[in-house]
Amino acid sequence: MRFMLLMIPHGYESAAAGTLPDAKAVAAMMKYNESLQRAGVLLALDGLHPPSMGARVSFAGGKPKVSDGPFSEAKEVVGGYWMIQVRSKEEAIEWAKRCPGSDNEVIEVRQVQEFADFPPDVQEAAAGFSELQAQSGQPKGS
Amino acid sequence: MRVMVLVKADENSEAGALPDEKILAEMGKFNEELVNAGVMLAGEGLQASSKGARVRFDGRKRIVTDGPFSEAKELIAGYWLWQVKSMDEAIDWLKRAPFDQTEVEIRQVFETADFGPAMTPELREQEERLRAQSEQLSKAGKR
Repeated sequence: MRFMLLMIPHGYESAAAGTLPDAKAVAAMMKYNESLQRAGVLLALDGLHPPSMGARVSFAGGKPKVSDGPFSEAKEVVGGYWMIQVRSKEEAIEWAKRCPGSDNEVIEVRQVQEFADFPPDVQEAAAGFSELQAQSGQPKGS
Repeated sequence: MRVMVLVKADENSEAGALPDEKILAEMGKFNEELVNAGVMLAGEGLQASSKGARVRFDGRKRIVTDGPFSEAKELIAGYWLWQVKSMDEAIDWLKRAPFDQTEVEIRQVFETADFGPAMTPELREQEERLRAQSEQLSKAGKR
């Protein structure tokens, strides 16, 4: 089963553009990342720049409307994620607990929808999705 | 640059409602365009938060709470990872998505170089190795 661990650092919703984690935090997190990889559970991971460097698009009535960040009404935002492959939700939670998070942080654990989770008629309508997934690349950022 | 496109949850996604054939066909067409343009890096749907949990960090304590989580507006129902030249390009792509009444957030992804001096040469090497190894595992798992 795949789970996403969504890091929610409280206060990040109002972080200035260009905010960076400090060296100690990065080093501690890299140790954790390494442990995920050594256990063979790490599928992907990324950190996200704050919402002040982002945007939102809303689709009321199907018409797209763009707003630049930050978003004053957002009480919490995602700061990064891990995608892991584990046997159960309990195992995913155990991994989340091992993260060197600080007091103002929360990790949300969410199960990924697998193709096989959908009933047969939905699978048929979504035929080709697995091929699309296989075709999408992972070029490295600069 | 890479962006993460976060599709916000709503009452339907939180109720575990499955997409109908029309939406799947439209989304399939959109995903195909993203793949053909070399923009699509990854994309997944997430199960409702009722199947999830949250872990809060308090010193050495870890406090676990099972879902669902009431503030549905800030929950995520799915995401894409896209490779684009700019935020404007990402926004242009997103405006073409077959959404109706949905809210979507676009966030820039940290590249290794963005971390500055905190990402020492040793850590950078470790980071690149972790990515390569996890990518292998990820591709091995794809059906």
